[in-house]
Amino acid sequence: MYNDIIINNFSDPENVGELAIPDVKYELGNPVCGDRIEIHLALKDNKIDEAKFRAWGCATSIATANIFCSSIKDTSIEQIQARNTDEIADMLGELEPSQQHCVEMLNELHIQLLALIGANVSVMVG
Amino acid sequence: MNQQHLAVYFDYNATTPISNAVIEAMAPALHLFANPSSNNSYSIKSKQVIVEARESIAQLINAQTQQMFFTSGGSEANNWAIKGVLFKHILQPGHIITTSIEHASVLDTVKYCVEHFGFEVTYLKANAKGYIEVDELNAAIRSDTQLITMMYANNETGVIQPIVQVAALAEQYDIPFHVDAVQIVGKRQIDLTQLNIDYLSLSAHNFYGPKGVGCLYIKDIKSISPLIHGGGQELSMRSGTENFVSLIGMAKAAQEAMQDIESWDKNNWNCKQHMISLLERAPIEVSFNGSTDYDKALSNTLNISVAGVRGEALATRLEVLHGYIISIGSACSNNKVKQHSHVLLSMGLTEEAVQSAVRVSFGHFISIGDVEGFVAKFVNEVKALHRISGREYGPSN
Repeated sequence: MYNDIIINNFSDPENVGELAIPDVKYELGNPVCGDRIEIHLALKDNKIDEAKFRAWGCATSIATANIFCSSIKDTSIEQIQARNTDEIADMLGELEPSQQHCVEMLNELHIQLLALIGANVSVMVG
Repeated sequence: MNQQHLAVYFDYNATTPISNAVIEAMAPALHLFANPSSNNSYSIKSKQVIVEARESIAQLINAQTQQMFFTSGGSEANNWAIKGVLFKHILQPGHIITTSIEHASVLDTVKYCVEHFGFEVTYLKANAKGYIEVDELNAAIRSDTQLITMMYANNETGVIQPIVQVAALAEQYDIPFHVDAVQIVGKRQIDLTQLNIDYLSLSAHNFYGPKGVGCLYIKDIKSISPLIHGGGQELSMRSGTENFVSLIGMAKAAQEAMQDIESWDKNNWNCKQHMISLLERAPIEVSFNGSTDYDKALSNTLNISVAGVRGEALATRLEVLHGYIISIGSACSNNKVKQHSHVLLSMGLTEEAVQSAVRVSFGHFISIGDVEGFVAKFVNEVKALHRISGREYGPSN
């Protein structure tokens, strides 16, 4: 079963799409379950100005992509960098064991974002 | 029962809704408290209930009443048949033939006997149409083959296995033959006077009866070890005070099935043909896993791979947004072990096709109108997932 955060973000994800000329574009895959997420970002004044995603995978991974995009929009790089792993896990709410791989995907979305924009690559460990 | 709920329930192979007549038959039985094994005036009615239940369930598969042994359901019946036959050979463990598309209650029981008692096993794969090849089974028979165990109809694809031919081979080589008939009993006519089957498992909740009750047909009780020793019930083959409330429910379900099996099957077949037709004309790409021929597959089951989606995501959208219940071919993984359908993999489907597979199964509470409503939502949600992925034909494109 799915918690309300996952259901809300999976049922009608607001950040679906692509940017014509993204400042940052990257893709994440899970080799075991096959989930794939592609992120398109526009940066402005050291903030994420726009965030879009495409996703193929389970309900929780699609919700994860939408939650990530919502969480970084209008947010400074420093604020994103300051998140620790506990805070990142909390963004998805309570998950069943079979959904836990999405916490790792959300962590990896943060790590790759920070690496690509030249910030400190390590997400703080809570 | 709430009719609104029944219009969106498309997972009949997991379990069927219990029929109103079954509920009405079971309710008064809750007042029957006397132990049928006692010798008093109260126990007469309890004994009578058991006799009548055995008659009804025997008639459903055209067996004799003394060949029907009550169990807690299909899994127990499968366990009993396999262990009960093999335990007779425990000092000289030989060879088992089964298939790679069996229910876990067969696969895990066979595995247990192999790992703990030294039996050897041959697993036959299904072909692309979903059924095993009789020639391959014939080639797998050894001089020390002590059991053939296989299902009559597959729960995921609905594909009917060549039981008649295998039964003939088993008779020719004098090998005990167990059939897991859980998915077919109550959906198609079974006549055990026409088949050389030694053991057959069935479960009431797959034909509108209650959960937790089933049967093992045993042609000859001398050929199999008892399951539960104790009080002597079930001819001392499965002791324990009988669950006669559930037996009354199973008996009523069996009576209804005997009366209506042809009309149920006709309704299912019409619904299935209509669903196939609607899906083939829809602006999505689907493929049907396993045979869809009438004589090769159950009328109520359709296993569908949908290009460009994960079955889990599709099933979730159908349930969360519209209330529809279906099953999937690939569960979410824990990041270490892939949980793909062993049935679809055995048939040679690609991992992508398995991940995109859903099982739709229905029954006599579903109408053509319900099918049309379901397919409309199904197609809409596939298109919604295509918009999310940005791909029309799957992750590789």
